[in-house]
Amino acid sequence: MPVPILKQGEMLIASIQSNLNDQDLMQLKDEIAEKVGRFKSRGVVLDVSILDVLDSFATRTLRSIAETARLRGAETVIVGIQPDVAVAMVQLGLTLDGVLTALDFEEGMELLVASIEGSRRGGS
Amino acid sequence: MADGPLPSDLERLQLSPHDIERRKAFVDFQSDDAARITTIKDLVVRNADRYGAAFFDHLATIEEAFGLTRNRKLLEQARRLKQEHLVAMVRGEYGRDYMEQRVRLGVLYSRAGLSARVFLGAFHVLMRAIGADIIKQYADTPGDGFDCFMSLKKIGFLDIGLIVDVLIAERERTINLQQDAIRELSTPVLRLRERLLILPMIGVIDSMRAKQLTDGLLLSIRANRAKIVVMDITGVAAVDSKVANHLIQTVAAARLMGANVIVTGISADVAQSLVALGVDLTSIRTMNDLQGGLEEAERLLGYKVVQADGATPASGRA
Repeated sequence: MPVPILKQGEMLIASIQSNLNDQDLMQLKDEIAEKVGRFKSRGVVLDVSILDVLDSFATRTLRSIAETARLRGAETVIVGIQPDVAVAMVQLGLTLDGVLTALDFEEGMELLVASIEGSRRGGS
Repeated sequence: MADGPLPSDLERLQLSPHDIERRKAFVDFQSDDAARITTIKDLVVRNADRYGAAFFDHLATIEEAFGLTRNRKLLEQARRLKQEHLVAMVRGEYGRDYMEQRVRLGVLYSRAGLSARVFLGAFHVLMRAIGADIIKQYADTPGDGFDCFMSLKKIGFLDIGLIVDVLIAERERTINLQQDAIRELSTPVLRLRERLLILPMIGVIDSMRAKQLTDGLLLSIRANRAKIVVMDITGVAAVDSKVANHLIQTVAAARLMGANVIVTGISADVAQSLVALGVDLTSIRTMNDLQGGLEEAERLLGYKVVQADGATPASGRA
């Protein structure tokens, strides 16, 4: 099932609604890369709170989404990783180094806004 | 107590009809063994008192068995059960009832703190007393007497197997109870301020406790919407590479949930041993003590603690 990607101001919001197969993930990656450019977005929020498992492929894809978005000028924050998912990921040695993470959507937005503000102030 | 229902844990002892058959097969118990045993039924039933007395008199001389022999109530129960046992032993029926009787006796031994090695010694004395009488009864045909005694001995070993199983199962049960008790003393996660949790860790961290700790912390992070966690390990006796690894994993998992962890209270010894072990803790933010950790956390969260005017100056750091 494809993931809807919503535009909210200069943010993109992708809220995953069901467990994704590898193809859905690849499609999500492509779409975000394309939309970040099209809407000149500054931030991407990826809500994964529905997922009860994040395997190595999903983790790698999430990381590459974040990196791709960064190259296109947007910061990514992954929100809503569940406690047991976090434990499982750590035990499998899957990390999201270099990617922002936050507890939930609200936190993620706050973090992104702060990060974008910071980079603007730093840039000007 | 001993006559009450069997402790449910003892269901693990495997007393299904199949298991009972297996237990008999372990000691090579055949139907002709049962037939031979019935030939000495009268003898054993008649002298059951004496055999029981031999068993308990022997125990009475052993210091390690005082828990049983000096406890009048338990001893009385044990004597009665032993009597039943001796009678049942020569009945030729060794089904579930027989096994349950043994288990009851075993539970009683376990309550009295009788260890397997002491029990085995006394059981040997008992068998010797019976054996001596069997040889007397078969004075004319000692070969038959020996066979008969050997058949009885198979039942003896069947009993020993059960009693030892019970003693082990009871000990495991005690250990489980203690583990539960320890688990209940588990590490609390405390909220110190809005979005700031502290996790004071005390004692020995094994894998089970570490897992529980991680789970508890992550749930608290979600429930309290925490941004910063100060994990204080002053009270952790020893930090080896395994514990360090648990710490690293916990920190990484917390980070995935959007919380930063500050580890405090790493003593000089622990720090040196971690460096000597070559554990890479660069991914963990550390501060020397809990106070430092809290101050850092407050700074990160944007809190500023100011002393009220006119208050007594606090000692220590400003």
